[in-house]
Amino acid sequence: MSAVGGRRSTRIALDVLTWVVLLVMLAPIIYLLLASLQDNLALSTGNFELFNPSFDGFRTMWSRVDYTHFLINSIVISAGAAVLATAFACTAGYALARFRFRGARPYELTIIGTQLVPGSMFLLPVFLGFIWLGKHSFLELQDSRVGMVIVYSAFFTPVSIYLMRAFFVAVPRDIEDAARIDGCTHFGAFVRVVLPATTPGIAATFVYSFLMAFDEVLFASQLTQDDARTLPIGIRLFVSAHSEQYAQLLAAGVVSTLPIMVAFFATQRWLVKGLTAGAVKG
Amino acid sequence: MTTTTDEIDEAAAELSGDAPSRRRRRSRRRDIPKLERTRLPYGLIAPAVTFMVLIHILPMIAGWILSLKRLNTFTFSRLFSAPWTGLDNYGTLLFDDDNSVHRGFSTALGNTVVYTLWTVTLTLGLGLGIAVLLNRPVPGQRILRTLMLTPWVVPSFVMATLWQFMWRSDVGIVNDILVDWTHLRDERPVWLNGPNSLWAIIIPSVWRGIPLAMLIFLAGLQAIPEELHEAASIDGAGPWRQFRYVTFPLLRPLFAVQLLFGVIYSSYQFAVPWIMMGSNPGPHADLLMTLVVRESFSNKLVGLGAAASTLMTLGMLVWVGVWYGTFRRDLEVSR
Repeated sequence: MSAVGGRRSTRIALDVLTWVVLLVMLAPIIYLLLASLQDNLALSTGNFELFNPSFDGFRTMWSRVDYTHFLINSIVISAGAAVLATAFACTAGYALARFRFRGARPYELTIIGTQLVPGSMFLLPVFLGFIWLGKHSFLELQDSRVGMVIVYSAFFTPVSIYLMRAFFVAVPRDIEDAARIDGCTHFGAFVRVVLPATTPGIAATFVYSFLMAFDEVLFASQLTQDDARTLPIGIRLFVSAHSEQYAQLLAAGVVSTLPIMVAFFATQRWLVKGLTAGAVKG
Repeated sequence: MTTTTDEIDEAAAELSGDAPSRRRRRSRRRDIPKLERTRLPYGLIAPAVTFMVLIHILPMIAGWILSLKRLNTFTFSRLFSAPWTGLDNYGTLLFDDDNSVHRGFSTALGNTVVYTLWTVTLTLGLGLGIAVLLNRPVPGQRILRTLMLTPWVVPSFVMATLWQFMWRSDVGIVNDILVDWTHLRDERPVWLNGPNSLWAIIIPSVWRGIPLAMLIFLAGLQAIPEELHEAASIDGAGPWRQFRYVTFPLLRPLFAVQLLFGVIYSSYQFAVPWIMMGSNPGPHADLLMTLVVRESFSNKLVGLGAAASTLMTLGMLVWVGVWYGTFRRDLEVSR
């Protein structure tokens, strides 16, 4: 915008301000990185040895609590939920993007409506239902990865549908029509032409629902004890009444963030497009 | 646009009783088989709908039914067949001054309103401010825009853990800055309990929420044609008046959507206080969700928890109504 800051001095001042704002936003993350390289003594006294980093936390975090178990649980559950949610979102999102059909509007409203209901409204009956199923059937969903995948995929399907719909709307109709003239059925055109053309969108939706599931705390805190414990709850074990292993806790925080950062920045371009497309078009 | 007219055609044809012939004729014109036109979308949404009904809608109804049951420590083993109690749970929550859950509910409601008000206002305000800054040609613009998103990529459980660590009263970095470095305060304040604790959860929430708000506002700003600003500039409008009368009105639909979801999301916040302060964050930082989870799971007052969840849903419906009444015109303009 040429309008803001016409004069040279104002322009420079605003440039500096922008970089200062970035520094403030990044400060807690920089602090996390620095603190994770301190040992427990330095962390408990607050006297950091910046030029004498210790990798204690990163070395011992794997043995002090079963971090690997939590990490595998988190990745398996989030990936499973993201695959399911994205698959549902592909078909439903395409239907909503391409067709006008009776029930489309109520269905859209229901999708938005699910977002108005607090998680506890599902959590309570799901919790009781899991216990009930454990008593009356062979299904052991309480504290199981399968149970968590089912819950998360249902929970993140509505948002995924919204994202996928935005991506399908952006696919030009012509390529679909061309495929159909070449003899594809409509469904065949969807599978062979439209889906491949939406690969970036599918990747973005998958990553987004993966991030949401990876970061979920409410359901994980009440529906898992040990077998299916995920990272957000698991890493709390570093800090208990008996021991304050802050070095390990912060190191675990850094390690837990890495896969998310990689996934995010790898798909950032499409993710940003998906998240802003719906917003800008209204 | 064509689909709308098609729909009207279809409805008219159906009313006049010659739907099949009309439809077939139009179908042939477009080489689209009739069956597929009508059934394919239902087939496509069927998996998602079935799944959502089973895991989303039915539990929601079950949750509402639970709110009508006396399901507590004594009846917990009976699960869904606990005795009915009508609207007693709602009465207890709303009016029973002798009940500790009622007092906790009022406190948590107050805290949640304050938390939501500040979190949403600051997130949207600062997000818009940063978006305006980043919309100028700045040296290093691409790196700036990417790095500005980083707080959003840190999982919120890591973020809450980190801030819990930074808020420590005796040796935390926040108090180091406030007291030792800048001397803004004489004594090291306590953040994780007591009157400051609501701010201890508001500030991290805002910090993590800013990037997404910024991203959406920035996309909106970039969609505004440059000519509008040029025209306003020629008419003699300074930067502020341009923002007030050109930029902001065009961003209003984006603002409205973010306000809607920001309020919903903040009102249902659970992770941040629960991770930073445990299952009971105390009277100054207890939010509705932490209260509901604590009463339902630690104290096994499932019926009351379900009733509170139902009341929260109703509250949100009221909010959506108010929101729709306020922003209806913006939504139409944006279409």
